[in-house]
Amino acid sequence: MTHTPNNPITTQLGSDGLGQQPWWVAQWMELINSYRFKKRLERAWEYARSGNVSSIRFEGRRVHARVQGSEEEPYKVKLWLDVLSDDDWGYVLEALTQKARWSAQLLAGMMPADIERAFAASGKRLFPFKLQEVRSECTCLDNKKGNLCKHISAVYYLMGDRFSEDPFVLFQLRGRTRAQLLADLAKRRRRALALQAQSAPQDAAQSDAVAALRRPHPAIADPGRWWRYEAALDPALVVITPAMEGDTGLDAAGPLPLAADPRFPQSNRLFLEDLRQQGQRLAAEAMTTAMDNSGSPP
Amino acid sequence: MSLLHATWLFPPEGSGGRLLLWADTWRVAEPISPRRTAPVHPFSLVVDDLAAWLDDNDLWSEALRPATATLTLPSRAVNARGTRPGNSTSPWSGLPLQAGEPIPKTVEWWPWQVEGLALKPAAAAEWLSRLPLSGDHPDLAEDLRWWTHLQRWALGLIARGRWLPLVEEGHARWLPLLNREDDRQRLEELSSRLPQVATCAIGDGLSPEEALSCRRPGSGRLRVASFLEALLDGQLRDSFHEEPAEGVDPLLGAWQKALGRGDGELKLEEEDVERLEVATHHWRETVAGRVAAARTCLELSTPADGEELWDLSLLLQAEADPSLRVPAATVWALGDRSLQLGEITVPQPGELLLEGLGRALAVFEPIERGLDSATPVGMQLTPAEAFVLVRTAAARLRDVGVGVLLPPSLAGGLASRLGLAITAELPVESRGFTLGESLAWSWDFMIGGVTLTLKDLERLQAKRSPLVQHKGAWIELRPSDLKHAERFCAAEPGLSLDDALRLTASEGDPFHRLPVHAFSAGPRLQAVMEQYHQQKAPDPLPAPEGFFGQLRPYQERGLGWLAFLHRFDQGACLADDMGLGKTIQLLAFLQHLKAEQELKRPVLLVAPTSVLTNWKREAQAFTPELKVREHYGPRRPSSESALRKALKGIHLVLTSYGLLQRDSELLETIDWQGVVIDEAQAIKNPGAKQSMAARDLGRPGRSARTGRFRIALTGTPVENRVSELWALMDFLNPRVLGDEAFFHQRYRLPIERYGDMASLRDLKARVGPFILRRLKTDRSIISDLPEKLELSEWVGLSPEQRKLYTRTVDESLETIARAPLGQKHGQVLALLTRLKQICNHPALLLGEDPATAVSGNGAGSFASRSAKVQRLEEILEEVIEAGDRALLFTQFAEWGHLLKAHLEHRWKQEVPFLYGSTSKNERQAMVDRFQEDPRGPQLFLLSLKAGGVGLNLTRASHVFHIDRWWNPAVENQATDRAYRIGQQNRVLVHKFITSGSVEEKIDRMIREKSKLAAEIVGSGEEWLGGLDVGQLKDLVALSEE
Repeated sequence: MTHTPNNPITTQLGSDGLGQQPWWVAQWMELINSYRFKKRLERAWEYARSGNVSSIRFEGRRVHARVQGSEEEPYKVKLWLDVLSDDDWGYVLEALTQKARWSAQLLAGMMPADIERAFAASGKRLFPFKLQEVRSECTCLDNKKGNLCKHISAVYYLMGDRFSEDPFVLFQLRGRTRAQLLADLAKRRRRALALQAQSAPQDAAQSDAVAALRRPHPAIADPGRWWRYEAALDPALVVITPAMEGDTGLDAAGPLPLAADPRFPQSNRLFLEDLRQQGQRLAAEAMTTAMDNSGSPP
Repeated sequence: MSLLHATWLFPPEGSGGRLLLWADTWRVAEPISPRRTAPVHPFSLVVDDLAAWLDDNDLWSEALRPATATLTLPSRAVNARGTRPGNSTSPWSGLPLQAGEPIPKTVEWWPWQVEGLALKPAAAAEWLSRLPLSGDHPDLAEDLRWWTHLQRWALGLIARGRWLPLVEEGHARWLPLLNREDDRQRLEELSSRLPQVATCAIGDGLSPEEALSCRRPGSGRLRVASFLEALLDGQLRDSFHEEPAEGVDPLLGAWQKALGRGDGELKLEEEDVERLEVATHHWRETVAGRVAAARTCLELSTPADGEELWDLSLLLQAEADPSLRVPAATVWALGDRSLQLGEITVPQPGELLLEGLGRALAVFEPIERGLDSATPVGMQLTPAEAFVLVRTAAARLRDVGVGVLLPPSLAGGLASRLGLAITAELPVESRGFTLGESLAWSWDFMIGGVTLTLKDLERLQAKRSPLVQHKGAWIELRPSDLKHAERFCAAEPGLSLDDALRLTASEGDPFHRLPVHAFSAGPRLQAVMEQYHQQKAPDPLPAPEGFFGQLRPYQERGLGWLAFLHRFDQGACLADDMGLGKTIQLLAFLQHLKAEQELKRPVLLVAPTSVLTNWKREAQAFTPELKVREHYGPRRPSSESALRKALKGIHLVLTSYGLLQRDSELLETIDWQGVVIDEAQAIKNPGAKQSMAARDLGRPGRSARTGRFRIALTGTPVENRVSELWALMDFLNPRVLGDEAFFHQRYRLPIERYGDMASLRDLKARVGPFILRRLKTDRSIISDLPEKLELSEWVGLSPEQRKLYTRTVDESLETIARAPLGQKHGQVLALLTRLKQICNHPALLLGEDPATAVSGNGAGSFASRSAKVQRLEEILEEVIEAGDRALLFTQFAEWGHLLKAHLEHRWKQEVPFLYGSTSKNERQAMVDRFQEDPRGPQLFLLSLKAGGVGLNLTRASHVFHIDRWWNPAVENQATDRAYRIGQQNRVLVHKFITSGSVEEKIDRMIREKSKLAAEIVGSGEEWLGGLDVGQLKDLVALSEE
């Protein structure tokens, strides 16, 4: 199976049918595929797949990559987006606090599908609208001529995968890390809530809060709790049973959100497969151990 | 004896840690005044002793390494010698408390240094897996059992694959996934029950100089989660193959290597480590949230009347107690303050609520539209969405750590399934005495608490909607419901009294494959059921006519209960505590049968040889109308015809377990009206011959004309001994527990191996109706009992004793008759002493050496040579089983030595003996240990003279007078060592009397308050010397009855 830019491009994991492309990755891919010079994109895709991109690093707000081209020395590629000003971020954060869902999804590690509406408040965007908004530099000659070279395009492709690892990379490129964003968001929300709460009467339960903190642990009043444990074994632990089919933690967690190294296209799958198999072996061992516990005094 | 504990040693930083094993043991210690460093725990075992002890007990592990730790322990203040109590200028001095020690009024917490042996997590997990999961073990502290349960959980998580590998803080780690409802519940339970000793160590590696500080107790779910994490991580790491598969890229390869043995450090560039950290963080986040104090919760309410939409409100719910919850509006109103839910403080409740909503949204999309505002409190769902929530999404939401509350009628579980509501009553003409009889009854179908008819079901099913409203409640119909209902109607089943008792005995027992949700009994049936299930005390039955004596109120209830089960033809086990009068109740029951003209054939009573005499004596005293015969001894009838002849007019036949077995064929030819087994623990081993003989006898063959009642008597907590229950029930009521193989699989294995409470509850519910056990401490009993209860323990003589006794009497009487007057007095007293010694044990008279006397086994064993020792052993067995303590008084120091050797041999525990030559210091040490040591000796031997006065031994609740000093004042004084006015414990005083011997005769004299007795009380035993030979002969000669 050959991938060409005309075919819908999926990540390595996606092509194995293990997971669906998150929407923000798809959007990024669409952006690249809007480039007119299809031939050049095809070559870039080949570069990306055959591992010519030897490193991608996020340094602050910029992406630094090294791409092995025809020269001996790898070309250095830099990518960046326009950073939002503090004022702009202020508007964005303000808008984000208006909808609980946005905070909820961001806190749970998900990128809200309509995140752009929050950015619209600042008149800015999170995703670049046009390819031209993605600033780039490459040390190759082609780029010097002002063209979008295949090295940069190859990095584009791989960045799509990186977005699936961590959607917050996009925020980082716009000037806020995930931690900063969540902290700012929390601060702003709390301030808003505190203002609201001031007008509301103090909740009676809360005046107990301080008293409760001073309340000593029950073991202080009942020192027997230092040693006492009278509970019987939870009936559900009496017989140790294996997981139901497809019910392990690995099954629930799904594909690893980690961009594969193009030189090892099967890496994620193989790694997870190995974990799964070892997991079954470990489970069998645990059940044997559990069964061997005769429960008789030593 | 030492008690083993386990405490987690937290590393100074990061995760992981080690499990420290240490032990404490009771010894005399001077109070300690801590100065600048934590003092050494005065009771802790030194490492070498601990290692030897672990080795002896098969608990040694090669991975154990010496370690020391500073533990925060509750301590009692003890004034240092020479300081006056209450002197505020002297520094605090005291000692650490030990497990099981009575808690003093004021407790302080001090750090104490202990040495011990530590295990790294993997080795700790392996070691803990070898420990018992249930039961009491004298050397393993309860806190160890907490650890075994935690490790059991870790094994469960590994078996179910509930883990993910992660990268955190530059290290590869295995993380347990606790997103499932049951696992979260388990974390809460283990946290709330955490014995503080498990977590009372100050950081590992801190030098003791820095450590005169205490660790606060905490029920931290975070602490418990970190122990669990360490145990799980250690085990997985230990057997994980760290060689990556072919084709795995270097990044994942490095991760895999770091997941194997070792500290998990990743050999990667910082930037790559960060990539793994972020990726695995997201990976985990979609499955499970943090271990937090509270969680987001969605509550579904049924639509208001006439409305179509269902309300869904948002709440925050305490993990520790799901009933504690607050609506989202309250959470928003808190702003950045923390939330108080009962005793639980939730910091940043808003963030917690939002994060949970994010995860909820990923599994149940319809809530999206409710989250458009900044501070959402709820939303409405369409009926279709509500159904999805009830049917599938609720479970998925709970799996990602979001609570879901459904209306009660839809909340799942058995109650929301199609079942029955039954109304039943005894038919008018019935007295409720036969199990098979049919009841007058009616029934309805029931789902989610509302009743419905077959017609209703058909009508609702026709609506083709899964959630339907019926009689105001919303219920969920399943496609199969109608089919089941139709099948039940077609079967037209009848309901018997037996069914009613079974259905009300344990929850969830189905009737014709449908669960019974409600059972309402008419007043007469209700009365029968309550008695049967022992939900109320049995109706008392007053002592029958012809019963000489008084029944205490609880004994009247016991009699009523025996009569109640007898009406049902059900076997009964009367398992009252020792001293409550099982013998009297049984005799009263037999007399009751006789008074009612129901006692038509003889009753066979089987008991250990040592108590046969007791039975005979008690029957003579309380039920003289009953004709009693012993089937015992060489002259017993040996043919069917002889036995039949001998049993003419006999009501009660006494025999021993030995003869039950030997004469089983002969005994089976008799048509007994009932079989009673005393000390029923004798048949605990189902395969033993005497157990089988007892069971065969309880179940008459075809030759028997009518039924045979079965009663078992025992003083042991029989309902707690799963392994012994089967044999007992097989004797009493064979149907109840099924065959032995079934019983083993269904009950014994899960309960004994794993302490499975659900199986135990079910088992108890099944056998409960047939066992009546009252304790001396029961509130309803205690008021009926005197504080000091005296029991006469009648015993016989072994053949050896008998021979020795008669020979000694014959020889001595001759000598005394011929002796000059001046020597006669001394010779009489010497004779009495010798006879008393024989009644104790032949070895005492023969002056045998203790070590050789007790070492024999089998027929020539020490116990088999003396009936008194046999009986004493039987009673002590119960005392030790119950964890009680006993004082044993004798007047012979040599006897004390012999008995000490024997008891120590028999129970493998130390038995101190205090007598004339015991030094003052030794005396004090013995007394202190008996009174103070939580795991001190349970038996204490004392000579009457040395131990009879001045000592305070109130920890004992039993006093044994093994031989008699015929002076009640002296005996009472000794008894009062244990018994003090106002004491909590009731004291049981056992006085041994050898029947037919001089012991019985003098005892009778004292009790009959004869003129002679007055002299006895006045002068000790001196008066005996003045008897003439005729009187003496009457007194000492063995009387045969």
